Amino acid sequence: MNGELWKQSLEKLAPAIRAGKISPVAITEACLDRIEKVDGKLDSFIHVSRHALDTARTAEREIKAGKWRGALHGIPVGVKDNYLTRDMPTTAGSTAPNLSFPLRDSAAAARLRAAGAVLIGKTRTHEFAWGNVTPPVCNPWDLTRVPSGSSGGSGAAVAAGLCVAALGSDTGGSIRMPAAACGTVGLKATFGRVSRDGIVPHSWSLDHAGPLTRTVADTALMMQVLAGYDAVDPACQAQPVPDYARALGKPVAGLKIGVCRNHFFENLQEDVESAVEKAVADLAAAGAQVIELKIPLLEYGLGAIFAIELSSSTAYHDASLLAGRVPRYQPDVRTLVEMGRLVTGPDYLKAEQYRSALMEEYRKVFESVDVVIGPTTPITAWKRGEWTVQVAGKPESVLAASWRFTYPYNLTGLPAISVPCGFDRDGLPIGLQIAGRPFDESTVLRLAHAYERAHEWKDRWPQL
Amino acid sequence: MIDPAKIDPYVEMFGLDLPPERLQEVLAAYGDILVEIRKLRTLDLTDVHPAIVFEPTAPYRKTP
Repeated sequence: MNGELWKQSLEKLAPAIRAGKISPVAITEACLDRIEKVDGKLDSFIHVSRHALDTARTAEREIKAGKWRGALHGIPVGVKDNYLTRDMPTTAGSTAPNLSFPLRDSAAAARLRAAGAVLIGKTRTHEFAWGNVTPPVCNPWDLTRVPSGSSGGSGAAVAAGLCVAALGSDTGGSIRMPAAACGTVGLKATFGRVSRDGIVPHSWSLDHAGPLTRTVADTALMMQVLAGYDAVDPACQAQPVPDYARALGKPVAGLKIGVCRNHFFENLQEDVESAVEKAVADLAAAGAQVIELKIPLLEYGLGAIFAIELSSSTAYHDASLLAGRVPRYQPDVRTLVEMGRLVTGPDYLKAEQYRSALMEEYRKVFESVDVVIGPTTPITAWKRGEWTVQVAGKPESVLAASWRFTYPYNLTGLPAISVPCGFDRDGLPIGLQIAGRPFDESTVLRLAHAYERAHEWKDRWPQL
Repeated sequence: MIDPAKIDPYVEMFGLDLPPERLQEVLAAYGDILVEIRKLRTLDLTDVHPAIVFEPTAPYRKTP
């Protein structure tokens, strides 16, 4: 295998490691060396594991002994700092005093370990996975810009080759937004597909787990390990887990692609709109049937997700509110946690009624299409410290703009992926979002893979 | 905008024990969100069951 090891995809590394052509120790050393060299600029890791090389040596011995555990065996994977881990501290991005989280493995970390992955470190999260900036992490494509969030550490680390893949969590877009901003693939699986046991809760009914990777095939390999029933997570469903790799490599011809013209194509930056329209045209030229549609109910979604997210987060932090710890949170998170008290019970339940209505609308949409596509975010990565951006000639807060296109899939729980679809005039990545039917990650991956293969976006690397 | 003077009697009910200046900041920040929640309130969803299902068997769930 030629070139720098840290640039290799999981899809290429796995067979090479299995065949003994690449050592898990070598790839782990390459990632640790990369962290040493460039993470001073990015600050994407809050903790680097002391055990990573030992785990890699164990993997190497096992593989040499013919005990290959699968595609993740010996592969360095970053873990977002809101997933509990037994051998690395968890902070959930908070420096507030008198907060501690247990040293035990979350379900996802346990699955990765059982698959032989090398948990190389904890990637930074916006405090309690609440925000979209992830300080102090920098975007590898432009260090003056944010990686988005809240899985901003995972996005930056994967984009820069500091680990082969990483875990993220997504309550309103926190896997897909940093994936779009950093030029990686990010999949929010269906609600109930991946166990959230051991993820510090943000909003119980909106929180999703999933991977960030550099390619769609790598996401499929990560999902093969992460997906599956876990009785400990009340949301987890005992749905059969397909062989995700079998979905890849198939043509798009015959797929029906929905393009929702309201909401998802309103108020977006010109370069984002152009890139996504070009992606739609490319898919049509490749034989997909493009069906334009509208979902008017989306107009009411922002109030619904705020009502659920704010009240849930405040309920989770109630003990900290009573103990007076919340004023020690970061100012933006403090405000959000305090204001959750203002959401009334009827508003919360109205939001949950709205979710049912929106899910029904999507069910009808999926009677005539296989996927719904559009931009992941209306904007590309914004400058650090900037709280307002120009969108379609008008100022808009980044908090409002960044998650406008992602949160509908947290409300509906549908699987949604972000795959790179170009760069704006400043050289910043743009994401294409593809959503599918419940538990139909395979079709989402199929289309994302077909699009990715027909373009060269994944072959570009940030200069660091 | 929310007038803090009008909301004072409700603050204790909300359990939001904040100094007056801080309360004003939180209310101001909540203003934009309340606009969206008020829009949601205009929907007639009388016949729609909320997306919450109480599951009395939950404590008995086991991993197969």
